[in-house]
Amino acid sequence: MADTIDVTGAVAAKAAGAPGAGRRRGSAFPRYLATKLVAAAISFLATLVIGFVLFSLMPADPVQSITRGRPTSDAQMAQLRRQLGLDQSVPERFFHFVTDTVTGHLGTSWEFQQPVSSLIGDRLWPTLLLMGTATVISVALGLWLGVRSGWRQGSWLDRIATGASLTLWSVPTFWLGMILLITFSVGIGPLPGFLPAGGMSDPAITGGLDHVLDVAEHLVLPCLTMVLVVFAQYVAVMRSSIIDELGSPYLLTARAKGLRDDDVRRRHAVPNALLPSVTMIFMHLGTVLGGAITVETVYSWPGLGQLSYQALKVPDLPLLQGTFIVFSASVILMNLVADVIYRFLDPRVRAQ
Amino acid sequence: MAQQNSYLPTVPRGPGRRHHLEKFTMTTTTPLRRTGRKAVALATSLLLGTAAAIAAAPGASADDGGGTLRMPIAGIGIDSMNPFLAYFAGSLDVFAGIYPALNTVEQDGTAKPYLADSWTTSEDKLTWTFKIHKGLKWSDGKPITAEDAAWTFNLIMTNSTAATANGSLVANFASVTAPDDTTLVVRTKQPQATMLAVSVPASGIPIVPKHIWESHVTDLKNYKNDSFPVVGYGPWTLTDYKPEQYAKYDANKDFVLGAPKYDHMIQQAFKNTDAAVAALRSGQLDYVSGLNPVQYKALKGQAGIKAYETVGNRWSGIEVNGGARTRDGKQIGTGHPALGDVKVREALARAIDRATIVKKVRDNLAKVGASYLPPSLPQYAWEPSGSDKFDYDPAKANSVLDEAGYKKGSDGIRVDPKSKRKLEFRLGIHSDDDADAKVSTYLAGWFKEIGVKADIQAMSSSKLNADLAKGDWDILMDSWSTGPDPTYLLGIQTCSALPDSKGEGGSTDSFFCDKNYDDLFLRQQSAFDEKERAGLLQQMQAILYKANENIMIYNANGLAAYRTDRVDGILTGKADSTGAYPPQPSLAQYLNAAPANASSSSGGNSGTVIGASAAAVVVLAAGGVFLMRRRSSSDDRE
Repeated sequence: MADTIDVTGAVAAKAAGAPGAGRRRGSAFPRYLATKLVAAAISFLATLVIGFVLFSLMPADPVQSITRGRPTSDAQMAQLRRQLGLDQSVPERFFHFVTDTVTGHLGTSWEFQQPVSSLIGDRLWPTLLLMGTATVISVALGLWLGVRSGWRQGSWLDRIATGASLTLWSVPTFWLGMILLITFSVGIGPLPGFLPAGGMSDPAITGGLDHVLDVAEHLVLPCLTMVLVVFAQYVAVMRSSIIDELGSPYLLTARAKGLRDDDVRRRHAVPNALLPSVTMIFMHLGTVLGGAITVETVYSWPGLGQLSYQALKVPDLPLLQGTFIVFSASVILMNLVADVIYRFLDPRVRAQ
Repeated sequence: MAQQNSYLPTVPRGPGRRHHLEKFTMTTTTPLRRTGRKAVALATSLLLGTAAAIAAAPGASADDGGGTLRMPIAGIGIDSMNPFLAYFAGSLDVFAGIYPALNTVEQDGTAKPYLADSWTTSEDKLTWTFKIHKGLKWSDGKPITAEDAAWTFNLIMTNSTAATANGSLVANFASVTAPDDTTLVVRTKQPQATMLAVSVPASGIPIVPKHIWESHVTDLKNYKNDSFPVVGYGPWTLTDYKPEQYAKYDANKDFVLGAPKYDHMIQQAFKNTDAAVAALRSGQLDYVSGLNPVQYKALKGQAGIKAYETVGNRWSGIEVNGGARTRDGKQIGTGHPALGDVKVREALARAIDRATIVKKVRDNLAKVGASYLPPSLPQYAWEPSGSDKFDYDPAKANSVLDEAGYKKGSDGIRVDPKSKRKLEFRLGIHSDDDADAKVSTYLAGWFKEIGVKADIQAMSSSKLNADLAKGDWDILMDSWSTGPDPTYLLGIQTCSALPDSKGEGGSTDSFFCDKNYDDLFLRQQSAFDEKERAGLLQQMQAILYKANENIMIYNANGLAAYRTDRVDGILTGKADSTGAYPPQPSLAQYLNAAPANASSSSGGNSGTVIGASAAAVVVLAAGGVFLMRRRSSSDDRE
């Protein structure tokens, strides 16, 4: 196995983002963690600056957008500009933005005239529920199919799984969503629909278990759409990693020990082939909060993706910046977690 | 401008399109194996959980009988539940149901009593005295008095935060007082003919209970008005609200204008009309509105559903930049100079085949546009007559341009003799609007026939608005709707709506500015005789029509549908009726709606649901058990 490490060690180290000098012993965990934390903080600050600059450059007049169609006098619009801080210079606004963010204030949304943190808070749980469930299911389904397809490359299961997953991957999300929605909520031909057409719950149903079941029922279609569209990437990555392992001598050794084929796969091949998938899962977990605008729109799911799209239309800068901060923070945090976990999963990261 | 039913662009699906297939291997396998197995177990249990949930959840709203009216949340949603701050139609619609107003507006545009039983004006037309209905109570039992109304108006007049949403409606108020519990006296600075549109449901000022709101004045800006049930008065009491999800109401059976025929109402948020239509068909909703022609035609033949048209309360057309300038006359922006020539604008107006657009884009579910005010305000309607009409006539359009000296170049595009620039215009359209895309394609083709090139530029609404305000545009596609009082819609065409000398502020919509128009605008504000006022509004529309800076193309009919097996008494109106003021549903629609008698419901669904779900559970469970057994047995064998 030593020769395999030699071939791939460099790539693994790079992917894990380990610091350059590779001579230190692996026992310096606090130091490792500290460097990672500093790096994460720097990335976060950089995204703050980028976010502010990008949003400030957006060509638009938010006051016009907010008041359009409502009888609004000049005085009201001027007052609104003052209230929103639009009369301040860009450096002034940047200063306030940074100090507010660092002290944990996300400002007040222009469009909803409410604290950004409460708007985000309201929508965090629905997004986590939808994206979390969809991610868990697509990871489980994707990896399971990927392992089996790769192990029996060219088998009927492989051909069906690869074909189906790639087809679904190429389908536009909103289109698939609409088709599923019509099929399962309205019904087609003699088949009656039986799932709700949108929303997160039936407001008429209240009380403990009934409510939980009702939310679960509402979750089925959006979750199914997400899973169908994204599980292909796990299939593809897992499948090719497994195929890479197929010829490895250690599998021969395992078989020579007398292990059943299933056990060779489960105990030896899969663990070795899992790292690329772990990378991808964590990359995905970081973007979970961003939600899926299209799925949330098709199924009227009250999530964060929907909120940032609404903010973009005005544009509602405090809200946009708020969601931007939350999204980038979650990506950075997940990368940090991945870095730390690699250290435990992959001895080569530790060894540096 | 706000478009409700548009598809969103597909977004890229995260970082995964290109797979990084670096090679990784591991020396130890033990830790991962555990993790892997746990993950599988977790996923399986989740799958099973979900499936079980499907099986156990009750069938689609099976048991609401006649007690609950199920409506969609209006427009693009609710921005705030604070009536002093909210702008969105969805919020205004909620307030119409839970807060009172001084008076209502009937379908024909006349004012009818609500909180006020009657009203009188003084000789000089500056003082209005409203008699407030005696004996009405807020939902917490406290009496509703004239003082509540006076307090609400005064707060908006004196507190700039409270003026956020409705400040302009009281701009002409000098004082509002309540000499006793049933008398409200409003003194205005100038005579105000539109007084009976100031506090009406949906588009006017909702009156709030003083005893509740007094303590929130200091933090008005941050007050979300979210202690349920919300103390108010109206046909409904708001008992629960979840942002982007739903609003729940109980009926107020003692409502002064008649008791609602339902015991409860639920408004649910649907973020796209296709989903709302699906919800109507599956019984999750009783009513949908804001349909597009395709959705409307699809619902038209459905059993148990009635799809209907209402008279249009919106114009759709183009705005032409006839010379963007500030209030003091300074030119601003980058508009094409040739559009300042009324002849060029006339030629554009004559090049548009409106009937074809009505037919091809709106599937004949619209009226050919001409007048600035939509057909939902028949009392102010105006139509161009005979020779004044700029009908579709490309030959005439060409000859108008020829006579004015715009010669065609070798490429067939005309050249402006003064600026020497080709007649090449930017045509800004809303990138999220399907109708804009279709209409602009027709326009570009027709303009080409008269030697004018249109460069279609799709932009976001906010970018279009920003460019408009700066004068950086030639032609824009736009659309406006109005409530019962068209003052605002007419006001955005006055000179005072132009930006100030620094090029800021202003709510102008096309940089239109005309002395005669402004004079008429001032006169109509104090024209107390309805006939006289209508005459003035018609003259104003004639001026706008001749200028061709706002070229109307069509007035789309409102398209809506409801379930006849669930609900009765929906105000359906007609596309060509004498007017139905469409924002009215918030009050009149929900009041009129009654449970349908038809006993046949779509109850057949639930059996299938349970059957199908049970089957799914069995299959999944069996699969899970099989896998686990196989796994454990192989573990044993090892």
